[in-house]
Amino acid sequence: MNVEIDAALAEKRLRTLVEEFGVNLPEAEKTVVENLAKEHNLAAVPSQSSDLREIGTLLPGEWATIEGKVVGLSRPVSAAISQSGIIADESGAIQFTAWARANAPRLAEGESYRLESVVVDEYRGVPKLNFHAGTTITKIEKDILYLPQTTKVADLRPGVASVRVKMVQEWEARHDRILQTGIAGDESGTVRFTIWKEEGVERLEPETVYNIFYATVDEYQGRLSITLNGAKCFPDEEGEITVGTGAMTATGVIVNVGTGSGLVKRCPVEGCNRVLSKRNYCPVHEVQNDFKYDLRIKAVLDDGVKAHNILMQKDVVEATTGLTLDEAVKMVQESPLGLDDIVYRLRDAIMGRYYTCRGNDLGDTLLIKECTPLGFDPDRHTALLNRLGGEIDAS
Amino acid sequence: MPVETRIMPRYEREPARRVFAAELREASHHFKDGEDEKSPTYVLLPTGERCNRVLFIGSMTHKEKRGEQNIFYSVRVADPTGTFFVNASQYQQEAMTQVSKIEPPAFVAVVGKPNVYEAPDGRVFVSVRAESVTVVDREMRNCWVLDAAEQTLRRIEAYGRTPDSTRAQERYNVDMAVYKRMAYDALTQIAI
Repeated sequence: MNVEIDAALAEKRLRTLVEEFGVNLPEAEKTVVENLAKEHNLAAVPSQSSDLREIGTLLPGEWATIEGKVVGLSRPVSAAISQSGIIADESGAIQFTAWARANAPRLAEGESYRLESVVVDEYRGVPKLNFHAGTTITKIEKDILYLPQTTKVADLRPGVASVRVKMVQEWEARHDRILQTGIAGDESGTVRFTIWKEEGVERLEPETVYNIFYATVDEYQGRLSITLNGAKCFPDEEGEITVGTGAMTATGVIVNVGTGSGLVKRCPVEGCNRVLSKRNYCPVHEVQNDFKYDLRIKAVLDDGVKAHNILMQKDVVEATTGLTLDEAVKMVQESPLGLDDIVYRLRDAIMGRYYTCRGNDLGDTLLIKECTPLGFDPDRHTALLNRLGGEIDAS
Repeated sequence: MPVETRIMPRYEREPARRVFAAELREASHHFKDGEDEKSPTYVLLPTGERCNRVLFIGSMTHKEKRGEQNIFYSVRVADPTGTFFVNASQYQQEAMTQVSKIEPPAFVAVVGKPNVYEAPDGRVFVSVRAESVTVVDREMRNCWVLDAAEQTLRRIEAYGRTPDSTRAQERYNVDMAVYKRMAYDALTQIAI
């Protein structure tokens, strides 16, 4: 049922009808859509009727008429968009985008509207409503009842969702448009969250439980993350959640020991702990000569199908490589090449060797809690011989 | 720490395939995925999987320093099925330094990128540009032989059911029984 439509082609046809042949826009749209449907062997464009639909049942590719309440507005990411936000009814919620070209009236948060002839689109796996020139928007007086259903983190899918989570970890923002990014989670697992800088948005407090209504759930390279701009976040001071660890195990060979491994200096300012540059410069607190030393390994554990980024902290590094923080500090103090020597020693200790690593999935890195070296397994050898030998005899 | 995905698409590192020397030697077909200058290149394994990086553990049997201005090391590493041809030049500084310190014979773990070369007479050679060469022990070598046999079997079992293996079928047209036998023979050669 899903077909790819060439947007440029559709636009060209629309322009031809409207600009060259003077067809009015709604009629032109209808014609173009019907032709496209015919070309793709679709009997008709689904649900082009004015029957009222429930938001929770909308599918990409449909045209629909809905009634809903605007529950959140977010700053448009582009000048081509006049407004974007989230609209909900009792069945669910969906993001909407009003293109500047569509000249749609601006919607107000907390108000209910009837939207006729909106298009359900899909962007990076997330269903979205698009308003276009043929969309009719009417403010309605009846208050749409909506009761946001809370989704467990492990059950999140791209789209819009409400969650009850605890903020467990804050990450260094790598872009100046980001106000805050980190990890939040519930009993079922954890998810990355991002808040983009925008007037009126607030940061989440660590270790605090929030009821978050209508967050946008995105998927990128198989990884989900939630964006809180446009969502409503209510702290629950009394709330407590034991966050699921996102525990993960991977077995493979260390195929890379990356930059940033070895002995590092950390910023001593309370709560900072950032890694200092060679000249003891902290990106936030400037020169800090009273630093703390730390030992870590950033490496790649490769199972032949996937390369996992892993991070080992001091205790795991010491247990796995046999090099202690104290010895490493001594190496640096005794030799000007000490820093490099430490990296080589760590590398030579773990590269090309098999390990089973248990840890927590931080999104794109596995934080290792336990790293077990693997040896030759005679049982696996025998089993594999049987599998291969048996099949050869049979064939 | 994580890189912001919205702004910079996350770079996904290519996994290192476990391939026996006897199979890699036959991987003459290579291709680029995408039009971009930076798109990764792959060799197509006869068992039907694309391969941009390999990992193998074997015995370094031969090491030779070559070149005058641009010095590079040419190394041979043997596994139970044959020989891998490995190069480390100044462009792979880390691997070159590692190789300079290793005296064959030694068990080594090699991570690198496979390359297909065509000789003027039309013969095709596959060599590996090393990213890293580390000395390991016999037990790790045995672990790798198990691993490589298992992954070879995994590819054979998926043969005919993936786009890459359909492609391999067209290019090489090899009976998978050959590679099953190769993996079996490799396993019988590791002394426990």
